[in-house]
Amino acid sequence: MDWECCWDRDVVAMGDCPNIHEGDEDLLLSRRRRILEKCCDCANFKRDLNRFRESGHTLAPVFSLVHAEYQRQKTQIQSLVSFLDNKTLEVRFLHELGSVLQSSVDLEEVLSVALTAITAGKGFGMNRAFLMLSDRETNNLYGYLAIGPRNYEEANQTWDEISQNDMDLQTLAQSFRKNKLSSERDKFHDILEQLTLQLSDTNHILIKALDSKQPMLVEDAFHNPDVDYSFASLLGVDTFLLMPLISRNRRVGIIIADNCITHRRITEEDMRSIETFTFPVAFAIERASLYERLQVELSRVTEANIKLKEQQELIVKMEKMALVGRITSSVAHSIRNPLMVIGGFARSILKNTPLTDPKRDFIESIVGEAHQLEGVLDEILNYSDDLYPTKDFWDLNQLIETVLHELEERLAEQNCEISFYPAEHLPLAHIDYKQVSCCIRNIIISDIDGISGLHLEIRSSSDSEHIYLKLTNRERRFTNEELESMLTPFATSHDMGSGLGLALCRSMLEKQNIPFFVAAPPEGGIQYTLTLPIEKEELT
Amino acid sequence: MSRILVVDDEANIRLLYSEELAEEGYQVVTAASIAEAVEKLQGDVFDLTVLDIKLKNESGIDLLQRLVKERHDMPVILCSAFSCYKDDFSAWLADGYIVKSGDLTELKQEIARVLAKKAQRAKGGL
Repeated sequence: MDWECCWDRDVVAMGDCPNIHEGDEDLLLSRRRRILEKCCDCANFKRDLNRFRESGHTLAPVFSLVHAEYQRQKTQIQSLVSFLDNKTLEVRFLHELGSVLQSSVDLEEVLSVALTAITAGKGFGMNRAFLMLSDRETNNLYGYLAIGPRNYEEANQTWDEISQNDMDLQTLAQSFRKNKLSSERDKFHDILEQLTLQLSDTNHILIKALDSKQPMLVEDAFHNPDVDYSFASLLGVDTFLLMPLISRNRRVGIIIADNCITHRRITEEDMRSIETFTFPVAFAIERASLYERLQVELSRVTEANIKLKEQQELIVKMEKMALVGRITSSVAHSIRNPLMVIGGFARSILKNTPLTDPKRDFIESIVGEAHQLEGVLDEILNYSDDLYPTKDFWDLNQLIETVLHELEERLAEQNCEISFYPAEHLPLAHIDYKQVSCCIRNIIISDIDGISGLHLEIRSSSDSEHIYLKLTNRERRFTNEELESMLTPFATSHDMGSGLGLALCRSMLEKQNIPFFVAAPPEGGIQYTLTLPIEKEELT
Repeated sequence: MSRILVVDDEANIRLLYSEELAEEGYQVVTAASIAEAVEKLQGDVFDLTVLDIKLKNESGIDLLQRLVKERHDMPVILCSAFSCYKDDFSAWLADGYIVKSGDLTELKQEIARVLAKKAQRAKGGL
């Protein structure tokens, strides 16, 4: 019998078999392989088989049976291989997804990966996805993020871009997060804004899906009695998939996915695949949210620790200052007793010294100097009592009035006059009352010391942040060098007066963050300016 | 003539007070410590005590408290180099408080005031 197929030949040439093409050269020499791989599916072979059956040979029906079974099993194996290939891809994809989700505690990264996985062709291949998160404080479910094209043009453009850059899921998610996260949020702002509902609204399809903790395929949404028409209209599709995100029995949120562009049917298989994926996503979202809250709490604790440290440093500083105060006080006390004896006996001698005695001037000098030194000691002792400022809110106008009242006698003795112009509705100043009083008193004493008939002007004013106090004496004249000398610690000048000294005043004021300026305007006179804080300053 | 007991651990200060107060017409007895003061108070009668607060390792406030209990009819003027004791509640038991100074005018005025008050009280039978 002449056979149409080449199965009976050990060797064939290229062109003898219609199913052998370039690349199949090995089959030309291997009869066994050629029969199994090519002949069984060849039309020529089937015709040869028919002729064989028609020949009436007893083996012919058996042969046909074996051939048919072989073909059935081959098809089945091919189908299984295809299924396994798909499953392998799916497992690889889920593994990749799981790796990213497990390793990230960044909420935005987790969300980017989750939504990219749903919409990427290499992922679940849905056209569009919305993520809604639950808010425990407001008891709301609200639209947080969405991904996908809004029209055909955009869809084609996006898919072209993706096909040109062969990226794995993580890279795709990173690219989305970096380049598109914000714009996608804006793009879907109108829909996301309306996707807010109460978690207690158990009639809503979203809450039903959440409560059931099972994915739900919603079809014919515009006519589905379970679906609110306005919700279906908002999405603009009649078929969509709802995937609740549940972690440790807690409703984390829900993902809505659809094929709004391709309208590809969403299958049960799609739903099952995505269901596997929602568990790690829910867990990752909750973990990232908790991590975010942890970070907030951590930053609060860190901030509290910094403040605590600052307070500790402040306490140490205050203790040091208190120690300095005690030492200063002790030294001043040691000086005061002998000074008192010197001054006391000098006065005693002076009383019994005739006015004509040439030594009387010397004794008067001792009395005068001892008196002045006692004054300085008083200031030092007062100052050391309050080396560290104790701040509170005080009425500056009242403080000035009190200082002026204390100085009344001295001003009268020197025939000096002070005009005070208090600002109305002056806010309270955050200052150490005692130190600021002491400084203002000393500024005045320093200014009028040794000169009679002076007239000073004091004005208070304020803005939103500070209170300003200006003391002006238009009658005195100072050069810049003299001003510099007045403000330099330990500099000696007759014009410094007998008070605490402007340098010490400035030092005390600066400790309270009160800038103190002394200026000699070109037109003459001298002006002292204090800028006092209204608010309690933050620790830095 | 009023008798004044001056208690101060500084010899020069005791001398200064003795001189100045004697000149004012007072009879002055001095003591350098609390023990010496107590001894003199037991054997004598004084119209007033001028008491220093810091007496080496002792406190004049302790003697003040004792005097208030045992000699409540005798006024005490505290005389200290420190002004801060003015704010000490214990110091308020004294009839006067003077910060030490080479100018004794204030002390003399205070002594005169306290003695006048004492005399007035005695006169009024209070």
